[in-house]
Amino acid sequence: MRRFAVLLMAVVLFSGMTFVLSGCGSREDVVEEPIIDPAVTEETDALVGDDIPLYEQPEDVVYIEPGSSIFDDIQFDFDSYDILSMNVGTLQEISSWLAEHEDVRVMIEGHCDERGTNEYNMALGEQRALAARRYLVGLGVGSSRLGTISYGEESPLDPRSTEDAWAKNRRAHFVVSE
Amino acid sequence: MIRRFYAGIMISLPLSILLGGVSVAYAQVHISVSKAFGEKVIVAVPLFDVDGGTIVAPEDVRDVLLFDLSNSGYFSLVANTEFVDETETEDRVSGRINFQEWAALGAEVLVKGKIEGTLSEMSIEATVYDLAQGKPIFGRRYSGRHGEWRAAVHRISDDIVKQLTGEEGVAQTRIAFVSNVTGAKEIYVMDYDGENRRRVTRDNAIAIYPDWFPGAEDLIYTMIRDSRQETRRVNIETGTTSRVTSFPGLNAFAAPSPRGGEVVMTLSRDGNPEIYRLRADGSEPRRLTFGRSTESSPCWSQDGRRIAYVSDRSGAPQTYTMSATGGSPQRLTYQGRYNTSPDWSPKGDLVAFTAKIDGVFQICTVDVGSKEIVRLTAGPGDKEDPSWARNGRHIVYSVTSGGKSDLYMLDIYELEPVRLTSGAGDYLSPAWSD
Repeated sequence: MRRFAVLLMAVVLFSGMTFVLSGCGSREDVVEEPIIDPAVTEETDALVGDDIPLYEQPEDVVYIEPGSSIFDDIQFDFDSYDILSMNVGTLQEISSWLAEHEDVRVMIEGHCDERGTNEYNMALGEQRALAARRYLVGLGVGSSRLGTISYGEESPLDPRSTEDAWAKNRRAHFVVSE
Repeated sequence: MIRRFYAGIMISLPLSILLGGVSVAYAQVHISVSKAFGEKVIVAVPLFDVDGGTIVAPEDVRDVLLFDLSNSGYFSLVANTEFVDETETEDRVSGRINFQEWAALGAEVLVKGKIEGTLSEMSIEATVYDLAQGKPIFGRRYSGRHGEWRAAVHRISDDIVKQLTGEEGVAQTRIAFVSNVTGAKEIYVMDYDGENRRRVTRDNAIAIYPDWFPGAEDLIYTMIRDSRQETRRVNIETGTTSRVTSFPGLNAFAAPSPRGGEVVMTLSRDGNPEIYRLRADGSEPRRLTFGRSTESSPCWSQDGRRIAYVSDRSGAPQTYTMSATGGSPQRLTYQGRYNTSPDWSPKGDLVAFTAKIDGVFQICTVDVGSKEIVRLTAGPGDKEDPSWARNGRHIVYSVTSGGKSDLYMLDIYELEPVRLTSGAGDYLSPAWSD
C-alpha cells in the first residue's frame, strides 16, 4: 500500500519535454545559452550525432519525493557490479510491477561509495545501473523502458565514512518515470 | 649532463591582450653560468622602487616573483633577505649597482625593478643582471590596469625563465577545478598559484571533470541534472556554454585533442562504458573500444596519435594505451590492482596516474616505453587526478584527508608539494591549462 500512497504524492516536475530522435546531426541542435541564467530548463534532449541510440531516456521524470522511490534500492559488493542473490527478489518485484504498469518507465541510478577514485567510480556506477537494467531486460522488461544514469560517488545516501554508510551507498536506485 | 644557460635580448615580443610589453634595449649578452641538470641559478630580488601613486605594493610584487621563480624549479633564492635589503639600500645611496656586493651574497643573477602608477595604469619594469659579468641580461616594462599587477609579475617570471633557460615557464597558466563551496559542484578556474579564483559555471547541478581546449579559453565538462548526463563547452571569459553531447547513460571524462578539433570520452550509449572519439561539437561519434569491460578516463598523447585510458579488462582497473584510431590495447601498469586517472605528459612519454598503494591513493608516473613506474607522493591522504602543466615538469592533483579535499602542485624533480587551495569546501579534479 505504501507505494500507491507515495505515487499519489508524485509531482511531475518536467513536462512538455520533446524527445528528438533523428535528424540531430547538425550544429543547430546545440543549445547556446548564457551562463548567467541558471534557471534555463532544457526544452529538448537533442541527441547530437547521427546515430540513434539503442535505448531512449525516459522523457518526463516523476519525482515521487526527492530521494525516495517506490522500490527498494539494491546493494553491491565493493568494486563490483554483480547482481547479488539477495536482491533478485527486488528486481523481480520491479519487473512484475512494470508488467502491470505498461506506460511507466524507470530511470536506474548507479551509485558508489567514496573509496574508489572519482572517475573510476563514475564508470562503476554506470555499470551497476547497466547490470540492473540487463537483469530486468532478462526478466522481460522492454529495454526502451529502462534508462541509466551514474552518479558515481557524487550523491551518497549516507555521507559518513563507515562500513555501514559505504554499504548503503553502493546501490542502484530506481526512479519511476511517466 | 650540462645544461647551457643562455640569454639574449629579444627586441620585439608578442603583446598579450592585458599587458603591453616594452623592451628596454641592451646589447646582446650571455649569462656566464653553466649548470648541471637540476642545479639552480641563485637569484637576488630586492624590493622594487615605487614611483607615482599605485595600489601595487613592492612587497607583494616581490612575494609573487619569488614564488614564481623558486617554483619554476630553475632558481634558488638568496636566503638572507636582510642582506638583500641592505645591499639595495647601499645601491640607492651610491646611485650605482655594486655587482661585487651582490655576488658576495652568493647571488648569480639580480632582478631589479620599478613600479610606476598613474590614475588609470600601472607599469612594472624589471631588469635582470648577470652578476659575474656585471651586465644587464634583459629588461622590460609591463603595463596594464592596476588590478593586473599579478599577471604582469607572472609574465616577468616566465620571461626570466625563458631568457635564462630556454624553457617555457608556467607562471601565466591556469588551473580549472571542481568545488562544492556553494553547495553544488561547479567548475572554477584560478591562476596556477591558487590566486584569482573565480567561478565559471552556474548550473546549480553537478558539474565535474573539467578539461581545457588548447588556448586556455574554453573548457569541456560533464553536467548531471534531471537524471541525465551531458558534456558542455564553456568559455571562461564570457561564460557562454553550449551542449556537446547528451547521449543516454554516461557522458564523462571528455578530453579535447591537442589541436582542439576532437574529443575522446566515455559513453555507454551502446550498453557498456566504452571510449569514443567525436568531433569537438559532439558529432560523428566513433567507437574505439569493444568488449564487456569498463573503459574510462581517456586522454591524448601530445602528438594526438595515442590515447591512454583505464580498463578493468584484467579484472581490476589498470592503465592502457591504444592508437587514437582504436586497435589493440597495450597495458601500461602491472604493479598493484588499482591504477586509474591517467594524464599523458605534454613533453615525452610519461603518463601520470593514481595508484592505490597500501590502501592509500598516491600519484605515480609510468614511462610509456620502459614501463618504469616512479612514485611521486607518499604519506596519508588520498591523492587523485594528476594533471600535467605544459612544461611536463609540474603536476597538480587533489589530496583528500579527513573528509576535506584540496589541490596541490608538485615539481616532479623536487617532490615538495605546494598547497594551492584552502578554506571552506572541497577542491577536486584539477586540469592544468596550456
